[in-house]
Amino acid sequence: MTKSIQDINEKIRAGKAVVLTAEEVSAMGRDHSPAEVTRKVDVVTTATFGPMCSSGMFINTGHANPPIRMERATLNGVPVFSGIAAVDLYIGATENHPEDPAYGGAHIIEELIAGKDVILEAHAKGTDCYPLKDIKTSINRENINEMIMFNPRNAYQNYPVAVNTSNRIKYTYMGSLLPRLGNANFSTSGELSPLLNDPDMRTIGMGTRIFLGGTTGYISWHGTQFKSDAELNEFGVPISNAATLAVIGDAYRMSPEFIRAAYYEKYGVSMFVGIGIPIPVLDEDMASRLMIRNEQITTRILDYGDPDHPELGRCNYQELMSGEISLKNKKIKTASLSSIYQARKIAAILKKQVAEGSFLLTEALEAFPKEKSIKSLDIR
Amino acid sequence: MASSKRRMVLRFPADSVNEPITYILIKDYDVMINILNADISHGREGNLLIEISGEKGSVERSMNYLKSKHVEISPVVKTILFNQSDCIHCGACASVCFPGALSMDLDSRELRFSPDKCIACELCIKACPLRLFELNFGVN
Repeated sequence: MTKSIQDINEKIRAGKAVVLTAEEVSAMGRDHSPAEVTRKVDVVTTATFGPMCSSGMFINTGHANPPIRMERATLNGVPVFSGIAAVDLYIGATENHPEDPAYGGAHIIEELIAGKDVILEAHAKGTDCYPLKDIKTSINRENINEMIMFNPRNAYQNYPVAVNTSNRIKYTYMGSLLPRLGNANFSTSGELSPLLNDPDMRTIGMGTRIFLGGTTGYISWHGTQFKSDAELNEFGVPISNAATLAVIGDAYRMSPEFIRAAYYEKYGVSMFVGIGIPIPVLDEDMASRLMIRNEQITTRILDYGDPDHPELGRCNYQELMSGEISLKNKKIKTASLSSIYQARKIAAILKKQVAEGSFLLTEALEAFPKEKSIKSLDIR
Repeated sequence: MASSKRRMVLRFPADSVNEPITYILIKDYDVMINILNADISHGREGNLLIEISGEKGSVERSMNYLKSKHVEISPVVKTILFNQSDCIHCGACASVCFPGALSMDLDSRELRFSPDKCIACELCIKACPLRLFELNFGVN
């Protein structure tokens, strides 16, 4: 049996589509065949809520009178990128305040979404058409023109587990790693994760409508560092970081519940981003992908105690989610840096929206690259 | 009979480190000892973060015994405050919480906090990406 996205959208419009979350369909997969799942289920909702550094937001502040062509700008003291037209700015999530490393772009983004006032300060050389040289004023979501979130790399398809074999605590973007294998941190929502449920990207591509930060957003491109040649496990899932997404959405309609600023000790600022993707059950192949369970998703365990991050072993997400993995004859406590609780909330919201007919599926406008490896930077 | 539970840091003078104080406390004073953190070496001053519980009289008598051995007793007054309503339920704090005061519920995937297990080691303060923990120097 095969269904087209149009067939499924007809059912969604009629309020007759059967929608399950990825966790529900994984449980269903224990006693249902892919053919049965294809017959019974139309859409599966996937989600993730994790720290995603490669994120940010464009804003347009509107022109002052007299106007200024902003050349160096800060928001609450955090530098923002002003190397685009006069009053367009890009707030990079990881940019930090020069005197407060725990405060940065992500906090500004969260505050603007929440409706708070933020101090804008900008300087320029002054031109014939933009004579103003300095400006200091306060902005908020009501007195600026646009807030467009654009994140160049989100929703990593799988990510390695971080441990530390050294003798001192390591503060990393994978959290605090205790010495001598004291803990193991991972950051993927496993069987609920969007790109692990459609590993070949048959239904996810450019233009796909998604849940982003509490509202509807879109996949605008493949994410940076997109990798199509990662090693696969026996279930066809990459065992390491592979595909990524670049996403875009209207931050005016986002919520601080699904966009949260973060700070990792001695690393810096990052931002939790909530992403959900509904995946159509087109045929048995898609059904079998969507039925994947945590024990069938493998990842690598890397040692952040060594600057080269050597691989120490491999494990699956059932082990990681159980709270303990075994490595080198030692039981190591595990924890997720992405929030499964929040990811479940997003998958449930999306399920409701699709079932009610308020969220229609999209056909990707263009597929992601089939062959793309990533390069490292040579120092020459 | 009234029971009592106290959490304290014991500081041992260098010459009493060789005496089996915890053994004597358990055997002769009938109190339960939970050692939460220890830093003791021979010939050097030592520190023990300890919880003593038992019948009220036994706990009082064990305190007197410790004082007679010139052990300095400081009640643990540091506590950790957790702004739980802002928690997003990632596990970054639970990952470093070795006494198990912060833990992830494996079914609901919600973060749980049991203050009675907290020894105020402060690792969660740095581990939390949302900075939801702070140290409180109140009276125990």
